[in-house]
Amino acid sequence: MMSFWRRVAQNRGAVIGFALLAVVILVALLAPLLYDQSPWRMVQRPFLPPMAVDGFWFGTDTLGRDIGAGLAYGAQVSLLIGLVSTVVALAIGVPLGAIAGYFGGWLDDALMRFTEFFQTIPSFALAIVIVAILEPSISSIVLAIALVSWPPVARLVRGEFLSLRSREYVQAAVLSGLTPPAIIFRQVLPNTISPIIVLASLMVASAILLESALSFLGLGDPNVVSWGYMIGAGRTVLRQAWWICVFPGVAILLTVLSLNLIGEGLNDAFNPRLARKGR
Amino acid sequence: MKRLLVGALGAALLATASVATIASAAPKSGGTINVVIQPEPPSLMLGITQNGPTQMVAGNIYESLLRYDTDLNPQPSLAKSWEVSDDGLTYTFKLQEGVTWHDGAPFTSADVVFTADTFLRETHPRFRVSLAHVESITAPDDHTVVFKLKNPFGPFLGIFEAGTMPMIPKHIYEGTDYANNPMNATPIGTGPFKFKEWEKGSYIHLVKNEDYYIEGQPYLDDIYWQVIPDAASRAVAFETGKVDVLPGGSVENFDIPRLTAMDGVCATDKGWEYFAPHAWLWLNNREGPTSEVKFRQAIMYAMDREFVRDVIWNGFGNVATGPVSSKTRFYSDDVTQYNYDPDKAKALLEEIGYDGTPVRILPLPYGETWQRWGEAVKQNLEEVGINTEIVATDVAGWNQKVSEWDYDLAFTYLYQYGDPALGVARTYISSNIAKGSPWNNVQGYANPKVDELFAEAAVLADEGQRQELYTQVQQKLVDDVPVAWTLELSFPTIYRCDVKDLVQTAIGVNDGFKDAWLDR
Amino acid sequence: MKIARYILSRFAKAIVVLLGIVVLNFCLIHAAPGDPAAVMAGEAGAADEIFLQQLREKFGLDQPFHVQLWNYVSGILQFDLGYSYRQEAPVLDLILDRLPATLLLTGSAFFISIGLGILAGAMAAVRVGSWADTAITTLALLFYATPLFWVALMGILLFSVQLGWLPAFGMETVGGGYTGFARWLDIAHHLILPALTLGLFFTAIYTRMARASMLETSGEDFVKTARAKGLTEGKITRRHVMRNAMLPVVTLAGLQAGQIVGGAVLTETVFAWPGIGRLMFDALLQRDYNLLLGVFLISSAMVLLFNLITDLIYLIVDPRIELAK
Repeated sequence: MMSFWRRVAQNRGAVIGFALLAVVILVALLAPLLYDQSPWRMVQRPFLPPMAVDGFWFGTDTLGRDIGAGLAYGAQVSLLIGLVSTVVALAIGVPLGAIAGYFGGWLDDALMRFTEFFQTIPSFALAIVIVAILEPSISSIVLAIALVSWPPVARLVRGEFLSLRSREYVQAAVLSGLTPPAIIFRQVLPNTISPIIVLASLMVASAILLESALSFLGLGDPNVVSWGYMIGAGRTVLRQAWWICVFPGVAILLTVLSLNLIGEGLNDAFNPRLARKGR
Repeated sequence: MKRLLVGALGAALLATASVATIASAAPKSGGTINVVIQPEPPSLMLGITQNGPTQMVAGNIYESLLRYDTDLNPQPSLAKSWEVSDDGLTYTFKLQEGVTWHDGAPFTSADVVFTADTFLRETHPRFRVSLAHVESITAPDDHTVVFKLKNPFGPFLGIFEAGTMPMIPKHIYEGTDYANNPMNATPIGTGPFKFKEWEKGSYIHLVKNEDYYIEGQPYLDDIYWQVIPDAASRAVAFETGKVDVLPGGSVENFDIPRLTAMDGVCATDKGWEYFAPHAWLWLNNREGPTSEVKFRQAIMYAMDREFVRDVIWNGFGNVATGPVSSKTRFYSDDVTQYNYDPDKAKALLEEIGYDGTPVRILPLPYGETWQRWGEAVKQNLEEVGINTEIVATDVAGWNQKVSEWDYDLAFTYLYQYGDPALGVARTYISSNIAKGSPWNNVQGYANPKVDELFAEAAVLADEGQRQELYTQVQQKLVDDVPVAWTLELSFPTIYRCDVKDLVQTAIGVNDGFKDAWLDR
Repeated sequence: MKIARYILSRFAKAIVVLLGIVVLNFCLIHAAPGDPAAVMAGEAGAADEIFLQQLREKFGLDQPFHVQLWNYVSGILQFDLGYSYRQEAPVLDLILDRLPATLLLTGSAFFISIGLGILAGAMAAVRVGSWADTAITTLALLFYATPLFWVALMGILLFSVQLGWLPAFGMETVGGGYTGFARWLDIAHHLILPALTLGLFFTAIYTRMARASMLETSGEDFVKTARAKGLTEGKITRRHVMRNAMLPVVTLAGLQAGQIVGGAVLTETVFAWPGIGRLMFDALLQRDYNLLLGVFLISSAMVLLFNLITDLIYLIVDPRIELAK
């Protein structure tokens, strides 16, 4: 375990990633302290450029709301949605992949057909439809993101299970009469944890991107400030007020970048010999 | 603060715009004009489709018996004169002579009778309401039409507008399946412009009606209605000179100051008097906190409507004082005034012991401006201590929620059609409470006194008496706050100053090209 | 012969999948709250029960759900995608009208990203650890983490608003009246920004992919053998490494070709590009059932088609792969 973390610490990208992510998490946690007023509150005159007035480093938006406050509270939303939707996607993908990989045969066939089916529907379009139909809210967004992002999980877990299934210790467990659930959970799953963690960190990143895209199109939860929403709301005044769009975009970029760096760093640390395969 | 400045700027722009239009000389003939149309209309058959873009384009193809000036006084159109009997029951119209349809067939009183009595009765829900007061429609000769009413109906002379009663050619539609008549694709009217071609997704081309019954008119040779699906590109198309006219609502509010500040660009907020778009929040009068009068009054005090007007609507529009727009007939400002006063709102909430029950706000899903507006109202309400939650919907979901009464506060705006009996009463009379429509008494307000006043005022012939009753009903409603009135919306028309005499009537661009000419 | 049978069986499967997608989407969309008749009536400014009933009858919305589904599916089987309520035109016409714009955009973006990506990836892989490698890897990492729509906006800000080089919106100059070659030039001018934007994200992916798989391949035995045989590095890279390293890139390309349609929704929205992405989004907001389903069907069919093409390319590039699975 020590050597694992040492390997991570030697990976420059991963260190930068962890540092960036720590800042984002800190800002999200401290948002209520940094800005004691709601990010929706109209606190200054509209279209205030950055640094024009003390305390308004990032300027104000079309209604005179503090963009700094939006960035801070938006961090909460992005992280929350990224994390929860990934957990939900794992909860769908891992069992499906495990069952398909462990049992094989017609079950595997059927489940993989099902997975392929989901991969055939253009995922972003499907996410849009789901959110629009369920009406935009945090839970519908989480559900939509999870529904379009589980198939890679299922495929990954299935692949791992297929290769582990024939290992001796698994065969031994089967012979010793352990029930399939016990084997799946106690013997096989723990050995697939590392690739799942790597995939999960990348999934959080893409979930954040997906959420921002949905909010940008006006399909975000209208009760919370999110970065994508801020960009979408500033889009029409781009020529007059560049700052409304620029800062939230940088925030998304840095957060997603940090997660990608972490994912790769972990991957390299788990598999010192293997080159990465981006997916 | 900037808001004052923005408001003043808007007013100044309008002032220069109106000065520019006064100085008009003798019209010149000829020229092509490009106008934005947004969104692309589904059809141009005005007798069947009445949505905004259809009215705007087809109002220049089809005509009705009358037009209305910006004070809503009737003017001749297909009728050259008209008479109303003293008892207010008989309306006699004399038609213009020598009018032909675009296919050459003569336009006669038989077309009028067919249109009003047969065609629109089947296809036009809004017209049907007025038709209920009509006893008979007859044509004593080719150029005379007589409408006999069952009872006096005050606003009757206001329904002869192109979008409400467009004249439909009898020789084409009689006995056919109206909705599926192939001629719907190539509309035939009597108007100053004829349909030429429609490149879907790109433009609609109208050409001058050479046989128009007014000698020398129209002045323009061609109108191209350009379909440009994005607000920002519409603004760019205007800036670069690709289009000459931006009808109200074609660009984002934030772009308006930039466009009107350009050289040689004029703007006017006239041309919407007939519609007088009036915005308010439906307040659910049946249940929840909004069922209490004082809570509803608190909402009125809590909203900073001037801020919304100045910042979100760029200084265009007026704060509404009550159910009737100041543009509409029989308006009265002799009512309780609700100024922005958060303390008063808090006091009212305290008085009724509001327990913090959250209320759901349903913004209108019509884009940016309305979304910002919803957020501003939410914040205003939160600041006086009302817990709120915005519910996001699309148009279909909004329709469903409002018509099934599943909301606490819901944004909307409706047209008033010049007269309280046509566009105002429908929102407040208790006989109009019915699930399934988002345009009736959706809030569930029932007050027998209000019902009585509206019913009485509609069937009076005397204008003075009508005013008296409508003043009373306005005072009553404003005290009860059945809905929270917000703004009289203004959708300024932006155009190049060398486009002359475009907005002349109460429906503006919709029938404006009859008189418009280019000073180039 | 074998290949023909393989393609046929793949087509048969694809049709089954497509039907599944149609049924699923049909159910999803009809589960949504709201009635298209009410939306259409809303546009007319007023409605009463009679009017709503007329609309529902006209479009068959008054029939039970299973009848509507059956009508729709049997229509599909005869290549009839139905009629758009809102636009009053056959769905197929509307889609075909918009499809060229989307294909032009996504096609350009696809080739830009594949070309640039492989080139950049190869450059980086050949000189691992050099400043060029670092620069390429960092850029790829950045673009991979950037929201597509934000890149689009920044592109507009820089190239349209600040520099004034490129048009910010649309596919053609409004009322430009260009014809022939001038028109194509005008379209190309409008295409640059959206195509680059849409392409950049995928370029980043391909770059990373190509670099990683080239590095992996160059460590394998057959490359070592080639080296031992005294072949020049350039020859090894072109003949052995590239060819094998492209396999994962091809797989990815097949997968991404489908997703690029989804990305087009965003790009087309930002740039007001008149393609099917916008068509789909507008149809959704207006509850234009048939149109929405039609766009879904077409874009899913495109995904399946691309998958098939990918697999065939695979067969050609790497004959070792069996036809069976």
